[in-house]
Amino acid sequence: MKPERTSSNDRKYSNNEITVYWKPDACVHASYCYRELIEVFDPGRRPWVDLNAAPNDQIIATVDMCPTEALAWKWNDEKKNRLVGAEHTNHVKFRRPELMEPDQPAQTGHPVSVKIMKDGPVVIKGNFTLISGGGRKEITEGILSICRCGESDHKPFCDGRHRKTGFAG
Amino acid sequence: MEDKKEQKPDANVEIIDSGPLRITGNFILKDLQRDKESVPGEVYLCRCGKSSDKPFCDGSHNRL
Repeated sequence: MKPERTSSNDRKYSNNEITVYWKPDACVHASYCYRELIEVFDPGRRPWVDLNAAPNDQIIATVDMCPTEALAWKWNDEKKNRLVGAEHTNHVKFRRPELMEPDQPAQTGHPVSVKIMKDGPVVIKGNFTLISGGGRKEITEGILSICRCGESDHKPFCDGRHRKTGFAG
Repeated sequence: MEDKKEQKPDANVEIIDSGPLRITGNFILKDLQRDKESVPGEVYLCRCGKSSDKPFCDGSHNRL
């Protein structure tokens, strides 16, 4: 399947039934996608997404785990998209509404979630204030990925380096 | 019951220089590595990778 360019770095991938959108700038390396479904999401392969390598329900469940808008999906049949429920957090109408006819606003108001990723960063999501180096920065419904391995070149943020250094913890 | 007009941040996330990550307030801590979930109110999370009490800080960064 040949990936199609959508903007500078963004890509989209399709099979007969679904399309998956990839926005690399939004990725925080939480790494759900390749841990759950390496057959489809293989960072070491080019193109790294192969939508014919697993059933659609598994692909959708995995894309829905992505804590950012780096991965989003939709049915190729627009009518089916209207019926998709909010449990599908990464359907384009919730994650990338610009890719849909805008009729559904993004949700707000969940509690702050702090997730320790397996052998990876801590991912913080929700409505919080970031305090760093004496400065305060307010974040609304934001997401942050903080390095836990101590090796990131982009501290305090994760740059995915834990994968190369074999961080365990 | 959600009619907060202006949402106040629920939690504070503080990057301590050359030290841990301090999180306070109303948050849920989910540790996918150890399969634990809690609402601790305050935590200090290791950022140096050397703690023997991960994900929490044990002061190991002072010996780096």
